[in-house]
Amino acid sequence: MVMASEDEVSLLVIVVDVNPIWWGQQANREPQFTLSKCLDAVMVMGNSHLVMTRNNKLAIIASHCQESHFLYPFKLWKSGDGHGDDNPSTSGDGKYELLSVANDIMAEEIKILMSRTEVKGNQTDTLLAGSLAKALCCILFIKMLTGQEIKSRILVIKAADDCALQYMNFMNVIFAAQKQSILIDACVLDSDSGLLQQACDITGGLYLMIPQKIALAQYLLWVFLPDSDQRSQLVLPPPVHVDYRAACFCHRNLIEIGYVCSVCLSIFCNFSPICTTCETAFKIPLPQMVKAKKKKLKPST
Amino acid sequence: MAALSEEVLLVVKRVRQRKQDGTLYLMAERIAWGPEGKDRFTVSHLYADIRQKISPDGKAKIQLQLVLHTGESTNFHFSNESTALRDRDAAKDLLQQLLPKFKKRANKELEEKNRMLQEDPVLFQLYKDLVVSQVISAEEFWANRLSLNNVDHSASNNKQEVGISAAFLADIRPQTDGCNGLRYNLTSDIIESIFRTYPAVKQKYAENVPHNLTEKEFWTRFFQSHYFHRDRISTGLQDIFSECAKQDEKGLRSMVVQGVKNPLVDLLSLEDKTLDEGYGSNSMAPSTSSANKTVKENSNSAIIKRFNHHSAMVLAAGAGKKACLTMKCAGPNWGCASETSSTDGNSRDSDFFQPPVKKVKIQEAIEYEDLHMENGKKTVALNLKKSDRYSHGPVPLLPQQYTTSQDIINSVNCIQQEIANYKPCLTQVMSSSTASSAIAALSPGGLLMQAGSQQAINQMVPSDVQGELKHLYTAAGELLRHFWSCFPVNTPFLEEKVVKMKSNLERFQMTKLRPFQEKIQRQYLSTNLTGHLEDMFQMAYNKFHAWQTRQMLRKT
Repeated sequence: MVMASEDEVSLLVIVVDVNPIWWGQQANREPQFTLSKCLDAVMVMGNSHLVMTRNNKLAIIASHCQESHFLYPFKLWKSGDGHGDDNPSTSGDGKYELLSVANDIMAEEIKILMSRTEVKGNQTDTLLAGSLAKALCCILFIKMLTGQEIKSRILVIKAADDCALQYMNFMNVIFAAQKQSILIDACVLDSDSGLLQQACDITGGLYLMIPQKIALAQYLLWVFLPDSDQRSQLVLPPPVHVDYRAACFCHRNLIEIGYVCSVCLSIFCNFSPICTTCETAFKIPLPQMVKAKKKKLKPST
Repeated sequence: MAALSEEVLLVVKRVRQRKQDGTLYLMAERIAWGPEGKDRFTVSHLYADIRQKISPDGKAKIQLQLVLHTGESTNFHFSNESTALRDRDAAKDLLQQLLPKFKKRANKELEEKNRMLQEDPVLFQLYKDLVVSQVISAEEFWANRLSLNNVDHSASNNKQEVGISAAFLADIRPQTDGCNGLRYNLTSDIIESIFRTYPAVKQKYAENVPHNLTEKEFWTRFFQSHYFHRDRISTGLQDIFSECAKQDEKGLRSMVVQGVKNPLVDLLSLEDKTLDEGYGSNSMAPSTSSANKTVKENSNSAIIKRFNHHSAMVLAAGAGKKACLTMKCAGPNWGCASETSSTDGNSRDSDFFQPPVKKVKIQEAIEYEDLHMENGKKTVALNLKKSDRYSHGPVPLLPQQYTTSQDIINSVNCIQQEIANYKPCLTQVMSSSTASSAIAALSPGGLLMQAGSQQAINQMVPSDVQGELKHLYTAAGELLRHFWSCFPVNTPFLEEKVVKMKSNLERFQMTKLRPFQEKIQRQYLSTNLTGHLEDMFQMAYNKFHAWQTRQMLRKT
C-alpha cells in the first residue's frame, strides 16, 4: 500500500464541553454568547476541516457532566454508510451534502443529549477525562478501519473549571496520547486549566485562552484548523509557561523544593524521620553528643 | 649545599671557573663547582636545566661549557697540567651519559603540556586568557591538570616487549663468499633473539666474551659448532657449546615432565606418538632414550626434538611472565591433537585429577551466564500503607466556585429550553468587526503574541559577542574555582593563595569584564549579559571580606 501525501487521512476529534450548569449560568452572564453560538462555531470548524481535503475525517464528542456523547458521526457507523438516513440530505441551499448531513446530525444529537439531562447535585463537573478517553478510542477505531497510519489530533473546547478528582485519569490519557503521537489542542473559554496546559505541552499541541468568546469561530479557524505540519510554517501564539510543580503528599500543595523518600518516592514538604507512606525509618547522622558522666551513687553507709 | 644523601659520581680537582681555582663535582642529579678551600658550591646546575654542553677541542685552554635552558652559560677551565684533557674527557663522558636521562623528563613535561593545549581548544583559550595576560601564574594553571594526565601517560609508557620471530635462525641465510667460505649476517635483533631464546648461549657469551674470545670469534664458533646444525649426533668434539646441548636435553625432559597445564588450548603433548600405541597408554618415558631405536629413527627423533625444543624456547621467551606452556607439535601423527582430552597421552586424567585450568575452560564453553536460573536475591518488599496518595493530583490553586442547588436547577432548565429550540445558523456566527479584532489579537505584536517576541535573545545578540561571553565564563569559572577551593583556610599556604586569588579576580574584572560591558553598551544591546558574572564575583568578594574580618577579630 503506497501512502502518498494526497491520500493521507487526517482525523480531527473535537471535544466540546457542554456542561449545562456552566452554560446555563453563562446564558445569564453573557446572553450574546450561549451554547447555541458555541455549537455554531464548532460546526463551522468541523465543516472547514472536512472541506480542506477529501480525506479528512471528523468526529465530535459532547462532554457532559453525566456522560460523553458522540455528536458526529453516529448513525453512519452503525449503518455502515450514509445512505440509510431518515432525513434526506436536502438542505435547500446547495451545500455540499456531507456538510449538511453532518450539521443535521450534530444538531439532532445535541438536542437528544440535553433533553435527557437529569438534575443531580453531586455531578456538576464535566467528564473531560472520559471524553478524551473516548476520543482516543475513536481514533484507534478509525485507524483500524482504514488500516493505515492516520494523522490525528484532538481539539478540546473547554468551558467549566478543572475537576481535581479526574487528575490521574487525565494524566493517563495525556500519556497515552503522547505515545500514539496524537496532538491535544485546547481552546479555553473561561479560566486557565492547568491540566490542559500540561496536555498541550506534553503532546505538542497548542493551548489558547481566548479573550473574546464571541469570536470563537475566528480563533478556531486561525489557530486550530491547520494541522501540525502546517503549523511550523505559520506564526501562531507562543507556548505558555506550564506549572509542573509536584504536589506534596501530606497537604497536596504545590511545592518547588521538597523531600523525597528514596524507597517509595513520595514527596513531602517537611522533613520527618519516618516516611508515612512506606514506613521506612531514615537514619540521619546527628552531631556527636558528649556523654554526661554518670556519677556513681555512693552507697550510704 | 650538597645534601648528605647525594651520590658523588666524579670529582675533578683544579678546575677554574671565572678565573678562580676550585673543584668540580658531578652528582646524581646535578653538577656543582666550589672554589678552593671553601665548603659551599658557588655554581650548581641540575642536569634537567642543562640544554647542552660544548667541549671545544684543539684550543689552548681545555674547557667545558654548559648552556642552560634559560640561555646563560657557564665555563669550566681544566687547569691541571698533566691530566687536564683526561679530566675534561671524563667529565664530558659522564655528562653525555647523564644528560639524556634528564633531558627526556623535562622535555616530556613540555611536550605533554603542548599536546594538551593543542588537543583542547577550550583549554588553549583559557590558557591564553589567564596565563598570557598574567591574571594567573602558569604553575597554578597546570597544578590541577598535569597531575591527572601524568597518571595516564605513565601507564602507557611501559614499553611493549618485542616478540621473537620463530624463523630468526632460518633468516640468517648464509651467503657464499666467493671463496669457500660462508658469510653470516648477524644483526643486533638476531643476536637479541638468540640470547632470549637460548639463555645457555647468553651465558656462554657472558663467560667468554670479551675475555677469551672476541665477538666475531664467538659467533664463528657458534655457527661452526654442531650445536647449531641439524644433527647433533656427534658430541665428541670439545666445544664450548656441547654443554649447551646437554642443558637443552635436560630442559626438554623437564618440560615433558611438567606436562601441559591446559590441554584444551592447542596442543596436548610434546611427544610424537602413533595411534596404534593405544589410547591412554602410559608412554611417559621420554623417547629420548636412544637405546632401542635404530640410527635412522634416532636422527629423525633428534631433529624433531630440536624443533620442538626450539619452538618451546621461542614461545617461552616471548610469553615472558605467563606460566602457560603451549607448544606446536610437528609430529607425524597430528591427528592426536584433535582427540578429546580423554585420549591424552599424559593420561593422568582420571576424573579426580583434571588440571584446574582445563575445568574452567570447559565450564566457560558450556555455560552462558545470562541463561542461568535467576538466583532469587533477597529483596525487601515495598510496604505501602497509604498508596492512594499516589492517585491524587494537587489541590487546585483557585477556589472552586460554589453553586447552590437552585442555581443548578435553573441553569439546567435554561439550557434545556435553549437547546430544544436550537437551529444552527451558520451564516451569522459572528460579525466582521469581532472577526477582525480577533485577527488583530493574533497577528504579531497583538494581544496574544506578546510572549513570543521576548524569547529570541540568542538571535538578538551577535555570535561574536556570544563567543566572547563564553570565553569570559570559562575563564571566570576557572578563577573562581581556584578561589573557592581555598576555603576552608587551614594552612598559611591557603591564606596566601586566597589573597592572591582575590587580587586575581579583581584584576580579571578590571581587564576583561569591564571592557566587555562597555563594548556591549556601545552596541546598544540592552540585555544584561554580564549580570550573573558580576553576581558571582560579588559573592566571592563578600566571602573574602567575611573571612578577612574574622581573621582580624581572631588576631585582636
